[in-house]
Amino acid sequence: MNKLDSHTIETAKEKQNRHKAMEAIKVLNTLKEGFKEPPKAMDYFYNLFEDVYCKAKPLHKDKVKVGTMCIQIPSEIIYALGGVPIRLCNGFYTDDEIGSEFLPQKACPLVKASVGHLASKNLIDKPDMIYSPTTCDQKTKAGTLIKSFGYDVVDVDFPRTKESEISREFFRRSIREFSADLSLKMGKRLSKKNLKASISKIGYAQSLYHRLSDFRKNKTVPILGNDMFLVTNAFFFDKIDNWIDACEKLVDELEQRVKDDIHAGGKISPRIVYTGSPPIFPNYKIPLIIEDSDAIIVADETCSSNRMFNDRVAVDEWFVNDMIDSLADKYLKACTCPIFSKNDDRIRRIIELVRSHNADGVIYQAFAGCTVYELEQRSVLEAMEREGISILYIESDYSPSQQGQLSTRVEAFVESLKIKNRNK
Amino acid sequence: MKKIRDFINKADIKRFRFWLQIFFFVIFIYGGYFAINLGTSIPVFSCGFDQEVGGMCYFLPLQHQLARPLDVLFSVASISVLIGFVTFLLWFIVFNKAWCGYACPLGTMQDWLTGLRKRLGIRYSTYTQPQFNRLKKIKYIMLALVILSPMAVGMGLLDREWVTAFCSICPGRMVTPLFVGDTSQWSLDFSSKSAMILTALGLVFTGLFVVGSFVKKRFFCFFCPMSAMHYIFSDAALLRLKKDGDKCTKCGDCYTVCDMQIKDIADDVTSTNILRDDCILCLKCVAACPEDDALHVDILNMKLFTSTKGGFEKRMGMQTYKGERDE
Amino acid sequence: MKYFTGIDIGSTAIKITIIDENKELLGHKISASGSMFYKYAHQTLDDLIKELNISKDDIAYTVATGYGRKLFKEADENISEITANAIGAVAAAKEFGEIKTIINIGGQDSKAISLDDMGNVVNFAMNDRCAAGTGKFLDACAMNLEIGVEELADRHFSSKGTPLSINSTCAVFAESEIIGLLGNNHSVEDIVCGVHYSIAKRVIKLVKRVGIKEGIYFDGGPALNAGLVNAIENELGKKIFIPKYPQVTTSYGAAILGVDSYSYQNRE
Repeated sequence: MNKLDSHTIETAKEKQNRHKAMEAIKVLNTLKEGFKEPPKAMDYFYNLFEDVYCKAKPLHKDKVKVGTMCIQIPSEIIYALGGVPIRLCNGFYTDDEIGSEFLPQKACPLVKASVGHLASKNLIDKPDMIYSPTTCDQKTKAGTLIKSFGYDVVDVDFPRTKESEISREFFRRSIREFSADLSLKMGKRLSKKNLKASISKIGYAQSLYHRLSDFRKNKTVPILGNDMFLVTNAFFFDKIDNWIDACEKLVDELEQRVKDDIHAGGKISPRIVYTGSPPIFPNYKIPLIIEDSDAIIVADETCSSNRMFNDRVAVDEWFVNDMIDSLADKYLKACTCPIFSKNDDRIRRIIELVRSHNADGVIYQAFAGCTVYELEQRSVLEAMEREGISILYIESDYSPSQQGQLSTRVEAFVESLKIKNRNK
Repeated sequence: MKKIRDFINKADIKRFRFWLQIFFFVIFIYGGYFAINLGTSIPVFSCGFDQEVGGMCYFLPLQHQLARPLDVLFSVASISVLIGFVTFLLWFIVFNKAWCGYACPLGTMQDWLTGLRKRLGIRYSTYTQPQFNRLKKIKYIMLALVILSPMAVGMGLLDREWVTAFCSICPGRMVTPLFVGDTSQWSLDFSSKSAMILTALGLVFTGLFVVGSFVKKRFFCFFCPMSAMHYIFSDAALLRLKKDGDKCTKCGDCYTVCDMQIKDIADDVTSTNILRDDCILCLKCVAACPEDDALHVDILNMKLFTSTKGGFEKRMGMQTYKGERDE
Repeated sequence: MKYFTGIDIGSTAIKITIIDENKELLGHKISASGSMFYKYAHQTLDDLIKELNISKDDIAYTVATGYGRKLFKEADENISEITANAIGAVAAAKEFGEIKTIINIGGQDSKAISLDDMGNVVNFAMNDRCAAGTGKFLDACAMNLEIGVEELADRHFSSKGTPLSINSTCAVFAESEIIGLLGNNHSVEDIVCGVHYSIAKRVIKLVKRVGIKEGIYFDGGPALNAGLVNAIENELGKKIFIPKYPQVTTSYGAAILGVDSYSYQNRE
């Protein structure tokens, strides 16, 4: 009797925070200590994630936080209007379990986790409004579900084809509506000056990513794929100025590392291009298995990393309407998300990444329950076969189990790449 | 070598183009004052009605030459027509359609009108895709007019006013002489019904030219018969606009900046020669491409100016970030 | 004379193979994994060494494979069972000819591996989440029918009618289905046949994912069951090659890799 009396039961929020902190710290420790010495500049990012997820430190106290789902909402417009964009895509298994109460069991774990996080109302930087583009089925339905939790959710119309003029005009209008709506809510108007400045800033951040990517084309790769995922994940919620400063330092350090010939992988580690469902912190299950199996991820084609930074906006005449339209065009046309009817652009990008980064193989990971990535598997596999590129298709979810099964598959693939390299 | 290449690829194309256009404008419009005479086979609208022209638009002599009876036209007596044509081709082959983007005085005037519009803060307008598809055929109809009208006169089907039918309706005839203070072209010719119709059309088209170029970038070039003529021979030219489809991410930046609204630049990832009939080779697309080596202009298969990440970042102001920092 | 060991620590059984530096088979041993497979693996290895009359110091290189490979820390190297299986199959079937497709049914998983002309793995598919189509299913069915696993082959060939179809996708629910069939007076022989065809169909679906190429090799404990082999051959419409000791192909492959790794590391 005594044992039961003295035991205090945690509240749901306390339990959630503790579990999430455990998940976070496990991954951070693995990154810090489980591999070769990471660049010193990564300390900023390790500390950032620890502050946010373990110490629950809010980052944007006095600013208006504009939550976004997916990557199709132009952050340039949000910054120009004085807001802070917070990407709400979530990677915690804890939140996935909470979300399972609201969504079917077989649903995409990313959507479940995002819904679970918002349902728990236990947020550090709570968004004041949420914009949800109608991308895949599950995200589209989730938008309305999240609204029922009491958040201000606005659907932003997003087309399912991108080749036609109709879809271009459609999305241009959609973004103009979005700008007008946000402008009203922020009580501020877009001006030539503020929009040009934010396009410049985001463009610069993207250029930093390109510089970091270029280092990974080298024979000795100075940074692990997992560390790069952490850097790009930080962009979801970090203060952009701090992020830019930290990246500049990282660029300098990587430049030095390349000169000093420091390689983050092993001597014969096969070079991998990672594509598919986005690995969002702390769900680095598959990338960690890959780099643990003596391979190194040199490039990726995912929306939590490469897709956010790959394409920059060009503007002809710097008028507000022209800038908004150029932004809409770029966010639609360059997008390689599998929600579109055709996916030629995605296949071409994967092939181009394999060639430019001299990769040995591609690992295509799909979340169990993600219809679009699972459906595209066939066309991508066929395309890779035509190009003579080895590819492994692997399905997973957020649960911490199945490590042995997944690592067997990854290891077998890595071993076959090593043998292929040796025979060349 | 790399430094020179870097300097070229990071160049501010807008400024380069502005000054080169002024240079050619002076040579062509005011050339006579400097005793410059580059002949009569120039592949741009350097209007012959300007008394001080430094080199004449090929269409004026061409129309006169074609106004002969067919048997004379296709005989040895018309060797001068062939010589004129070959001279035209030789001029053209060097710069391909860059003549349009960098040298044509009429093009330069349109760019100045665009500059005025930008200064007034007015936004440009564009064609919708269906409008674009229907209107793009007009330049070939104009080219047909240039060639067939004088020949019809030669065959006795039309009166002599129709020899230079195109020149009568061309805005160049009315606008270009203004720059040397000559307003004699601003009149309606009442001498005959055809002349009245043609000069009236000329006034209308000139009005359209001014208004159109103000609201739409390079409005006239979309209907230009010289552009159509260029395109027919563009495969033989030395300067080429090339695309490497593998590097293209179809982001559409090139299409966004293209004055002529050419979709193929962004959407075609299989062709290597990406010069289309509307293109004026202004190189805005190459300057706006954010990928390395996706678009480039070659001379004799050597890359002259290519798209680079660094060049893009410099031109779009993304090399460092300006603006305020948050706390 | 140097010796090389391949240890395959599976979820059901531990298989150890020792070969010499010429890749000739010296001997092998199989034991149950149980709950303390680390201890049992060492035990089995010691027993085998004693049986073969060699000493532990003669062993130059050890390669571990299978689910428990990472926990056997004394190994010099560890590789996935897919790579090991491929190497072992190509070597074991040398007299038979070129092997292009490998089917493996283990205690708790099943695999299909596709090889290229040089015997390298180009593609593979695994079923390791569901017991249907694995050795476990055979064990459970034998137990329900109250016969020994070694009797399954004879019963299969004694079956008179068409094989019954077992419809359950889950091995656990198949139990109830079998009891129902017994209750309807179906013979044990027909039920056994049905079970074999059910496994065969499932495995062939797996093999189709990597492509069925001529030169098919079947290994794993259940390959000893001639009845199951018969069912698979009929479903495939092709003859398949069964090695003499199908359970040890993977550990054999691991040992062969050991020879290659050792000579590569010690090349002068």
